[in-house]
Amino acid sequence: MKRKSRSALAVFMVLAFLTAKAQNPVIRDQFTADPTARVFNGKVYLYPSHDIIPPAGQRQDWFCMADYHVFSSENLTDWIDHGVIVSQEKVSWGKVDGYSMWAPDCVQKDGKYYFYFPNGPKSGRGFAIGVAVADSPEGPFVLEPEPIKNVMGIDPCVLIDDDGGQYIYWAGGPMRGAKLGDNMKELAGPVTTMEGLPDGFKEGPFVFKRGGLYYLTFPWVRQEKGTETLAYATSKSPLGPWDFKGIIMAEHANRCWTNHHSLVEYEGQWYLFYHTNFFSPKDDKRRSVCIEKLAFNADGTIQEVKPTMRGVGINQATERIEIDRYSSSDDVQTAYVDTANTLRGACVTLLKKGSWVRYDDVDFSSIIDGYLVINVMAHDNTQLCVREKSVKGKVIARAPVTVKSENGPFHRDMSGQWLTLTAPLEYTPKGIADLVITCEGDAISVDWLRFKNRPKYFSEVGKNAAPAQPDNQGFIRRWRLMEPIAIDVRSNVVFTNSWLRDRFSDELVKLNGKSQKHKVKWYLLDSENYNVKLFRFAEKYGKQTYGSFFWCETVIDCPADIENVRLACGSNGASMWWLNGEEVLLLEGDRRMVEDDGMSQRLTLKKGRNILRAAVINGPGLSDMCARFLDEKGRPITNYTIVND
Amino acid sequence: MKRILILFSIINFQLSICEAQVGAPYIHDPSTIAECEGKYYTFGTGGGGLISEDGWSWHSGAERPGGGAAPDVLKIGDRYLCIYGATGGGLGGGHNGRILTMWNKTLDPKSSDFKWTAAIEVASSDGMEDQDAIDPSLLLDPTTGRLWVSYGTYFGTIRLIELDPATGERVKGNVEKDIAIDCEATDLLYRNGWYYLLGTHGTCCDGVNSTYNIVVGRSKSVEGPYIDNVGRDMFHGGGRMVIAAGDRKTGPGHFGRTIIDEGVEVMSCHFEADFDMSGRSTLGIRPLLWRNGWPYAGEQFKGGTFEIESERRGYSLELVVDFVRMEQERQRFWQIDPNEPVKAIPEQKLEDVIKGWSEGEIPVRLSDYMFRPWQRWTVTPVPEAGGYLGGPYYRIVIAGTERALTATANLEVTTSPTFTGSPEQLWRIEQLTDGTFRIMPKAIPGRDGLNTRYVLYSIADSTPTLAPYDFSSDNSKWNFRSH
Repeated sequence: MKRKSRSALAVFMVLAFLTAKAQNPVIRDQFTADPTARVFNGKVYLYPSHDIIPPAGQRQDWFCMADYHVFSSENLTDWIDHGVIVSQEKVSWGKVDGYSMWAPDCVQKDGKYYFYFPNGPKSGRGFAIGVAVADSPEGPFVLEPEPIKNVMGIDPCVLIDDDGGQYIYWAGGPMRGAKLGDNMKELAGPVTTMEGLPDGFKEGPFVFKRGGLYYLTFPWVRQEKGTETLAYATSKSPLGPWDFKGIIMAEHANRCWTNHHSLVEYEGQWYLFYHTNFFSPKDDKRRSVCIEKLAFNADGTIQEVKPTMRGVGINQATERIEIDRYSSSDDVQTAYVDTANTLRGACVTLLKKGSWVRYDDVDFSSIIDGYLVINVMAHDNTQLCVREKSVKGKVIARAPVTVKSENGPFHRDMSGQWLTLTAPLEYTPKGIADLVITCEGDAISVDWLRFKNRPKYFSEVGKNAAPAQPDNQGFIRRWRLMEPIAIDVRSNVVFTNSWLRDRFSDELVKLNGKSQKHKVKWYLLDSENYNVKLFRFAEKYGKQTYGSFFWCETVIDCPADIENVRLACGSNGASMWWLNGEEVLLLEGDRRMVEDDGMSQRLTLKKGRNILRAAVINGPGLSDMCARFLDEKGRPITNYTIVND
Repeated sequence: MKRILILFSIINFQLSICEAQVGAPYIHDPSTIAECEGKYYTFGTGGGGLISEDGWSWHSGAERPGGGAAPDVLKIGDRYLCIYGATGGGLGGGHNGRILTMWNKTLDPKSSDFKWTAAIEVASSDGMEDQDAIDPSLLLDPTTGRLWVSYGTYFGTIRLIELDPATGERVKGNVEKDIAIDCEATDLLYRNGWYYLLGTHGTCCDGVNSTYNIVVGRSKSVEGPYIDNVGRDMFHGGGRMVIAAGDRKTGPGHFGRTIIDEGVEVMSCHFEADFDMSGRSTLGIRPLLWRNGWPYAGEQFKGGTFEIESERRGYSLELVVDFVRMEQERQRFWQIDPNEPVKAIPEQKLEDVIKGWSEGEIPVRLSDYMFRPWQRWTVTPVPEAGGYLGGPYYRIVIAGTERALTATANLEVTTSPTFTGSPEQLWRIEQLTDGTFRIMPKAIPGRDGLNTRYVLYSIADSTPTLAPYDFSSDNSKWNFRSH
């Protein structure tokens, strides 16, 4: 798997264009670093440090942190900021302008929440570790008047062991740990240096227990003049000695110096929380929290995690998915959509046939009658597929990208332009799917994609369905429609009376002729709209949409004769209407689907069954029609039923 | 009969020359006319646009990048906002469109300030919806300051969206609202508590056979429903005609409203085919009239021979000459023999009275209309003398003479024995929204520049003068009556 450096890309990435929320970084309205994630009460709580731009008088090129926020989420995608829980001026033992509120932790013990944080003490150098206690993970936290005695350092982490004991770990000098007292505020055993760890700078211990094994995970500089990786060691005992296992995440490709992390299991899945300097590419002291899924091998070792822009969380298929935030890829390049307007965001270019990009966790459960909308740019005609799960996976949609067209009256060259294309779905995944876009031809750039549902225009009516009624305005919505007949109509033609009469009588002969009748298919449908969208009917049933001829029939059952009514119709384009075999109305010329565009003379709807038939012919338009009966005063007739045969 | 026909066609030809916008006014889907540093601009489908120095003579030269369809331009603050539709791909007749906005400090391509900002998308259609995101138009609601856009074509609905007038961007969270069907090239306007949606109905792009026409519905809310004169919603295809084919032009489309002055409005459109210009699509500018709260296109004023009637009292503009009595055989009613056949009395002729007229200047007054020669004025366009938004200047002479209505340096009005073509003898004639006319000299002797202030005015029942135009006063208003 080849991966291009993102450092150039990161320069211009800002909050504004992150339209889909389920992507990295997860907090986008402030800097967040050193994430400790904990599961309390079925939710994930995130306790990061809070990088800020240093105020005047502070070192501008150094870490600067004055308070802590807490965030919570139930889906790892939508995060609620519960606001400030601890700030430096409230810490009685701390320096009010220390700006040294580094990586914290929070644990729950016996219904109380203990928040641990490093801070610069009022006098002296270095760091002490303070405690604040709350009844809820969101606070309010009550600060202890003194820091924990005999602990000088940073990056506290507390392990609640399953035997009821608890341990505290910290960094700053050699990595150390000690048993913590039941009051959670003082040491209850000797300070132990963690043994068995590799050489090189280490900090940020995060200790957890899984399957009887203790894991000590930590940022680690493995190379001379290197930057931090995330590494881990395991032990059968909480305070070591440790057995070094390797890397969880390699150094940041853009040389962001720090990384800092936590691991948490939530709803059966393990996640790695870490940080990058995504929103502050020129200054790696302003960082942002990201999340990836993490997996263990059967032997308890951890599979190395690659940072992605995709992160975790589920996208709705109907959301706009910025594909440059992919999960993995091959032979792709990420770049600005528009170098002059970087706010338009980034796109990926699939460089050649066989290139692919995978985007995980898209929820298709709301897609019923869907289509793909995709924003692409190509320099020559090409094609892409959106597939399920893998490069060879089932094709969800196939989108030919025809940027050069010689066909038809227009010679078009759309090469090098961003185009929003649509494609029908060949297959709709069930539930949550991983998407893979594959390049099936020449290079193609993709900015975003989404899925949409077609509007519902018709419902098929079963033979035994109950009779229908006209709607409140008298419009007849249940029709038997014959599959459309293709006709040769020049664009924008004005339908003349004689042409229409010839055409309609020809078709009527064919309709009544037996040979034709056996071949053609009829559909009994209820229209969702007062106007029956014949164009969409033609499209749905796979027939010619422009230049089509439609036969429409409906059977009206009247409880008694209804006299002096008029049939009121509109159609796009021309139409002819027959009641019980008699021609009653012709809409001709250049007409559109206008309510009550034309009316018949006075008619009688006779007691029992009446057959209303229409022939509608369209040229270039979005063909539709509407029909209702009106009384002498223009009021709709609704006291009849529409039966199915 | 043949000769009559030829004669008729010559007249027709002459008249039609006067009606057309002069120059090379070739455009499709003209944007609402915008004014910038004394020039008029309109932008069309495809990229370019027209410029006019005077509103009458139009030439290509306006510049708009982005191509696409049917732009609209509106001055907001000290900048111009341009909105236009671009087909996003549209390969094979697709309907995936995008509505884009961009700004410019000036519309003059020769200005050093002329620079369009990068276009930003405010709406789109993906090609599968019943929607076609092109043909946008702008309305800056004068009551609220909110900026609205209607857009769409026959392919689906006409939609309303809201933009931020400070940025030209879509208002956050604004959801499209469908307000009409079965039209395209729509425009919104506000007047006297009503919002009007003007849509182009019929068929475009078929030259002399195009049935394009402009219809209107109105609503108390900008979000509709827009109801026509018989109570039908434009969302169900309703609409009342504003302008259709006529005057040797077919297919008016793409309405735009321009307010020149209080009570002086014009509408711009294109005609699909101008029969006097090879059937090309040309710019049309017509008076916009209002009756019972509904807009109508007025006719292009073609001239002719008329009474010029003051709206003040109904008196007629006439020369200050002696009233010449006509001789008539007295018919005492008790002496009439009902069986005696009636005969027509000839009207008084110019030669019967002109001998008594001074050969120099003759002042004018207002008096009872008796269809006498000193009351009959021939109004003729002078297209070579330039014009103003929607019309040429006219000469106004006593019928059968060269005696021309003339503005004087002391803001009075008189007649000169000959028409010289000088600006004080050229008259701007505009139909007002109520159907009456204002009549304005092109220039006033001794005053620099074009006159846009003083009009022919009834200062008393019997006394015409020149005075500042005031729509609220019938003194400013006149009717051209042929009777």
